[in-house]
Amino acid sequence: MIDEKKLVKIVGAGNVSHDRAILEEYSRDMSFVNTIKPDYVVKPRNGDDIAKLVKLANETLTPLVPVSSGPPHFRGDTVPGTGGAVIVDLTKMKKVIRVDRAHRVAMVEPGVTFGELIPAVEKEGLRLNMPLLPRKSKTVVGSMLEREPVVMPKYQWDISDPLACVEVVFGSGEMFRTGQAAGPGTIEEQWAAGGAQKTPYGPGPAQWNRLIQGAQGTMGIVTWASLRCELLPKLEEPFLVGSSDLNKLFELVHWLIRLRLVNECLVLNNSNLAAIMAKKWPGDYADLKDSSPPWVLFFNVAGYDYFPEDRVSSQIKGISDITNRIGVEAVRAVGRVSAAEMLKTVRRPSDEPYWKLRYKGACHDIFFITTYDKLEGQISVMYELANEFGYPASDMGIYLQPIVQGANCHCEFNLFYDPQNPGELNHVEELSAEAVNVLMATGAFFSRPYDKSARMIVNRDAAYVEALTRVKEILDPNRVMNPGKLCF
Amino acid sequence: MAISKDVYKEFEDVVGEENISDDPAIKDAYRSPNITVVLPGDTEEVAAVVKLCNKHKIPFKAQSTGWSFMPPTYDFIFLDLRRMNCIIEINEKNMYAVVEPYVISAELQGELFKRGMICNVKGSGSTCTALAMSGHGHMGLTTSTGDRNDLATEWVTDEGEIIRLGTLGASDEWFCGDGPGPSLRGILRGGGVITKQATKVYHWPGPSVYPLEGSSPRYTLSQKPSDLNMMVRYFSFPSIEKLVEAELKIGESEIAFELMGFCPSMVSSNITTSNEEDFATLDKFTKEVQGPGFMVIIAGNFPEDFAYKKKVLAQIIKETGGKSLKTVEDPAVESTLLFQCTRVCASIRETFRAGGAFSSMMVQGQRYDNHVRWLEEAAVLKRELIKKGLVIADDGQQFGWGEEQGHLGHTEIFCRFNPYDEKSSKAVQEWLGKVGKRALDGCFAVPAMGVLPIDEIGKHVSNYHIWFGKLKKAFDPNEVGENTGYSYVGADISGVHTSIYKKEPEKASSKK
Repeated sequence: MIDEKKLVKIVGAGNVSHDRAILEEYSRDMSFVNTIKPDYVVKPRNGDDIAKLVKLANETLTPLVPVSSGPPHFRGDTVPGTGGAVIVDLTKMKKVIRVDRAHRVAMVEPGVTFGELIPAVEKEGLRLNMPLLPRKSKTVVGSMLEREPVVMPKYQWDISDPLACVEVVFGSGEMFRTGQAAGPGTIEEQWAAGGAQKTPYGPGPAQWNRLIQGAQGTMGIVTWASLRCELLPKLEEPFLVGSSDLNKLFELVHWLIRLRLVNECLVLNNSNLAAIMAKKWPGDYADLKDSSPPWVLFFNVAGYDYFPEDRVSSQIKGISDITNRIGVEAVRAVGRVSAAEMLKTVRRPSDEPYWKLRYKGACHDIFFITTYDKLEGQISVMYELANEFGYPASDMGIYLQPIVQGANCHCEFNLFYDPQNPGELNHVEELSAEAVNVLMATGAFFSRPYDKSARMIVNRDAAYVEALTRVKEILDPNRVMNPGKLCF
Repeated sequence: MAISKDVYKEFEDVVGEENISDDPAIKDAYRSPNITVVLPGDTEEVAAVVKLCNKHKIPFKAQSTGWSFMPPTYDFIFLDLRRMNCIIEINEKNMYAVVEPYVISAELQGELFKRGMICNVKGSGSTCTALAMSGHGHMGLTTSTGDRNDLATEWVTDEGEIIRLGTLGASDEWFCGDGPGPSLRGILRGGGVITKQATKVYHWPGPSVYPLEGSSPRYTLSQKPSDLNMMVRYFSFPSIEKLVEAELKIGESEIAFELMGFCPSMVSSNITTSNEEDFATLDKFTKEVQGPGFMVIIAGNFPEDFAYKKKVLAQIIKETGGKSLKTVEDPAVESTLLFQCTRVCASIRETFRAGGAFSSMMVQGQRYDNHVRWLEEAAVLKRELIKKGLVIADDGQQFGWGEEQGHLGHTEIFCRFNPYDEKSSKAVQEWLGKVGKRALDGCFAVPAMGVLPIDEIGKHVSNYHIWFGKLKKAFDPNEVGENTGYSYVGADISGVHTSIYKKEPEKASSKK
């Protein structure tokens, strides 16, 4: 076991804990990974603390598990994969370092949540391209490092967006800055020269940010990150389109994104629409679900500084031409859900309790990347599996998020369940394991594999694993960073 | 012969006798006495050739369509990928195309136009590869850049292992290049051979085929751009500050299809067919413009969209004191610029024609406004060379443009000169060195590769050269993958964009 005094020397006595109850909290989450208790939880105050912790971990071969977001955790990536680990809890690093309106970029420490950053950027006339209703404790840096889908596909040029640059302490203990932040000069000197930490690629031929994203903390610990922001619109006109025909909706989605007519753009089934929009439980939920069509597309038309009314009206004219051709109708409200209220809702983190927990107290997500043409078949497969495993298919939430300017679609099945009911829990666990296997055969791409299936998903391609391992050996030669995750 | 007969035969067994040569005439055509040319026909042949290179510890260099060829000075195998020239798939619904390395942008773009789509075309021109690897281009405002358009990729490492990124490895599909887990897109550049790649494509609001009329080299369109819901204008501004303000506002308002920071000499190069005509036109433009400028293309998806975009442009130009270059308002000139700057077929005119060579200082990614102060200093130094008659006179202007609606950008300043004039060549190299050093000392940017020794640059930039050297060593343990162009520790320092004019190849030597 690592010497507690050495940890205290680095982060201070108040930031080291081996309290049994606290260690228990970090030993499990709502995923199905095995429970493993860490030895300590430490809360670094800054990048220097992190660098010293990683150095100590290398000297003592102690596993480190970085955690930026607060509980509840869902994916198993922050539960130690091996004994003797130290949790590096980054929630104390809460500085919004900079918001730069001119460059449309913000820089934050890893403990900053969406709820904390949104008002800071809004003050400067900016907004975030954020995931759908993150939980209140979810951090911006954590979300970007996990390549979570974002609700404005038009502004996601690359799957790595909105992440720009990071400062990272690699597993080797060395500090590195990616992209434009790498240099020349310190960050402050770059600002003085008129620069901003915005360009994500480089330095040199490599794109280091891509090696850190999706790594689940196995390559290093990020001490700050910059992210691109978008302008706050001057005028907005949100719409909903309800339909039982998913193909028609995605024909519309294709053209809305292709012609760059809309900002927010996403599709929900009636279960998720109700789970998100219901105010009073359980009555509201059931009413909303029953009164909504099977599928609802939400999109938002925006105007900026110049003649916003003209822009919005010309975009709506273009959209009308498309909806007329396809045979669907864009309206201000579907059932009891208004588009304006939906817009307000998706602009913020989830209210408490977290929307995925409201229905039954727990939720397990199965998510992957796919293409529009495969969606209907993959959803049918999932319904069949749900029936087979005794899970009520009508309870299943579905969230479809076009990403990367329409080149891909994030497909997410939300399996709500009662954690106090062992039967339900077992059904969901078994269904989840089988679903991953079956969906992979339909072309579902588990780009971000978590939980018990992660290793199986990654290990299917031996050549890819071999290449990843070589990268890992460079950045984390002693394998101190979150061992037991992915293929490491 | 650069390699022994027995070894030559092993390579011949892979690609067939018609696809390998060390004939002196062929070597001369490739401007290298050290070269053995191999033309693989598919991924498996590429992998087999690379494995043979590893077996015999023979360096190799692969090239798709080429732009700045820098042959090593030691014996090597050259993988000329010209047989790998298929467009494998165009997926309209999911907006990507899959290409082999010798598909040029013009070919892909021609096919995409028919489907109402377009791809990013690198500034080096539409005769260069359509692979989405590096390279920024005229249409970056709406079609992003090479570094960010690639999706799934098939990649042969420097050891000859075939790695299939993203969905390609998982399900034999092309729509995503990232994962599972960390994305190996991060290490694609600078090593190995890309044999197939999916690239994002974008909506094209223009015609499926340009209605060209006239004859080579003077084409124009039979329809006015306005009839196609398109418009081209060149605006000059009273100051750099006003130009930057206009450029940022255009990016933020999302109204332009293309904004190219042409200086007047680049516009005149585009619309003229000889140096004499070019210089006369430049002289005329120089008198007409009020200061630095840019060219902008507006394209409407439908008439109301076109009207809105024109209205916003007019307002921005009014606010920033921009002045339209009257010559470009002539529909004949406007249409020439329209097809040349969307088909990106004038890059050679802009760069090589005037003097025979050019050397450039460019920064890819960072926005133009980040570098104005540094570039103005570079322009002052360049004007000194113009005064001395060492480089072509073009008022010494720098240029840049926004990418991804102004989130990112590209900045460049180049000198066009006569490569056979030793004084000119030397002066330009010294200029590049000074400008590059200033970029580092002033904390402005990482200077273009080849301008300064890589370890000199790397120590200012998070020691990236050391980290990249580690990657290189991990994926190329036998040190056979020649990647001078990407400059890692110990790499050669070669001239930029001038090497194709070197008449005498350097003397052969053994690799150290």
